[in-house]
Amino acid sequence: MRLTKSFLLVAIAAIATSACDRQADSNNVAATDNAAEAAGDETIADGLAGDRKFADALKAAGLDRTLDGPGPYTVLVPSDGAFEKLPAGALDTLMKPESRAELTRLLTFHVLPGTILAEDIGKAIDAGGGKASLATMGGGALTATKEGNAIVLADAAGGKATVTQADDKRSNGVIHRVDGVLMPS
Amino acid sequence: MRIWMLATGAAALAITAPAAAQQGGGQGRGQGGGKDKPAQVERGGGKAKDHAGHDGGKASVKQDRGGGSAMKADRGGDRGKPALANTKRDDRSAVKAARAEDRGDRGRGRGDDVRTIKVAKDGVRVRDLDDDDVLIRRAFDRDLFPGRGRGLIAGCPPGLDKRDNGCLPPGQAKKLIGTPLARTAFANSLLPSQYRNWFRDDDDYFFRAGDGFIYRVDRNDGLIDGLIPMAAGLGGLGGGYGGYYALGDPWPSPYNFYNVPQQYRSTWFDNGDDCYRYDGWGAIYQVQCNTNVVSSIVSLLAGDLGVGQPLPMGYDVYNVPLAYRSNYADTSDAWYRYNDGYIYRVDPTTRLITAVIDALV
Repeated sequence: MRLTKSFLLVAIAAIATSACDRQADSNNVAATDNAAEAAGDETIADGLAGDRKFADALKAAGLDRTLDGPGPYTVLVPSDGAFEKLPAGALDTLMKPESRAELTRLLTFHVLPGTILAEDIGKAIDAGGGKASLATMGGGALTATKEGNAIVLADAAGGKATVTQADDKRSNGVIHRVDGVLMPS
Repeated sequence: MRIWMLATGAAALAITAPAAAQQGGGQGRGQGGGKDKPAQVERGGGKAKDHAGHDGGKASVKQDRGGGSAMKADRGGDRGKPALANTKRDDRSAVKAARAEDRGDRGRGRGDDVRTIKVAKDGVRVRDLDDDDVLIRRAFDRDLFPGRGRGLIAGCPPGLDKRDNGCLPPGQAKKLIGTPLARTAFANSLLPSQYRNWFRDDDDYFFRAGDGFIYRVDRNDGLIDGLIPMAAGLGGLGGGYGGYYALGDPWPSPYNFYNVPQQYRSTWFDNGDDCYRYDGWGAIYQVQCNTNVVSSIVSLLAGDLGVGQPLPMGYDVYNVPLAYRSNYADTSDAWYRYNDGYIYRVDPTTRLITAVIDALV
């Protein structure tokens, strides 16, 4: 008697679970497809036509290919204007062959692992009582805070860059455009 | 319902630290094979068999060198000056090592040959024939990350030049190739959890770690045939401390074999013209097979997350790729974080990374 009851219960549970799984799975497949569709086929590298200085720097470091690859990455792209704010000659020096290691280090400081949207940063800032730390590919971390509605990123030296255009979703991650160049320590 | 789904669907993929630790002394199959073995893997990237040939003919392979006189020599341009010294003897040994490098590692001093290796509480003490006593730090402290610049570098004391590779100068590293694994200090350690899903034991090879290196060992003869420096990597040979190779840099021969982590092998495999190499630190490079020269960076790797470790600083922000967000949204019971091809589950209370629960490739 007991055996049969247990068996029945297990059988019911199994059926319930698999039905539940199937429903959930089909919901999730739909959601997954939508998210992927929204991002499109174009990679981060494809989206840098208007960010010439950053694109040129990537190419010099051999990272243009990286941002065309599977990723996913979150890239903080300083505008051409942001590069112009660097001390005179700084960018030219960085672009020289002998500075390649430093250039790569600078660029990878602007690449974060995974896909991070502006709302993700905002939530972490709120949960962190006003600031959040973001790990970069290059090995250092950035600090994120909010100034009004805008997200501001800071490096260890106190250099700041504000996100001017967030959530440019790509097939292999996301681009946030910023108005400053951040410096690894 | 979601947690149910995860429990059933993810059970096959979940790998927890205690389970992985059962892998055993090195002869077992480990976690290898199975569904993760991609068909096109070409391991032939260069089974480095040269050992005696490199350093002016001094055959050092047959000596029982243990971890070698592993020095904390500072190679960042201050030749001859040790980066960090625990004792006066460390200074001398470090200076000797640096000088040996200056000589191009030709004629390594007889006095550097290892006499004894003693495992102490603070690490491994290697005494050489000159009676110099060198402390090699324990390669993997579970409480610490081999985080690149975020904390201690695996096996190396803090403050060490980031360009140092695993506390062993490259001239000495080279000599480990062709030697049996057992003779290397700490060489029977399992890989740190960050790397455990990347280099899995299989029918041809097994991987173990020690002294800041991952060793690939050929099952046929039990000899080390590949080295991957794990700490800060070599970085560009042109100087600097970025840790990355630059376009045009030659790939160093001790590390020249197809060593792309498991999860990326179906994407990047050696094909005759283009070879792919992982630097053990932060990137996979495309290297021209015939010239061994770096031609581009194909992927950046963070290497920050590992099962059983605490969630490191900088990962409070949710970073799961878009296509996976509907499956893996943060809840009060579980957080999800992405790193290097895998999605990890984190316990929000303890902040411990508890499992790998999905792989993107």
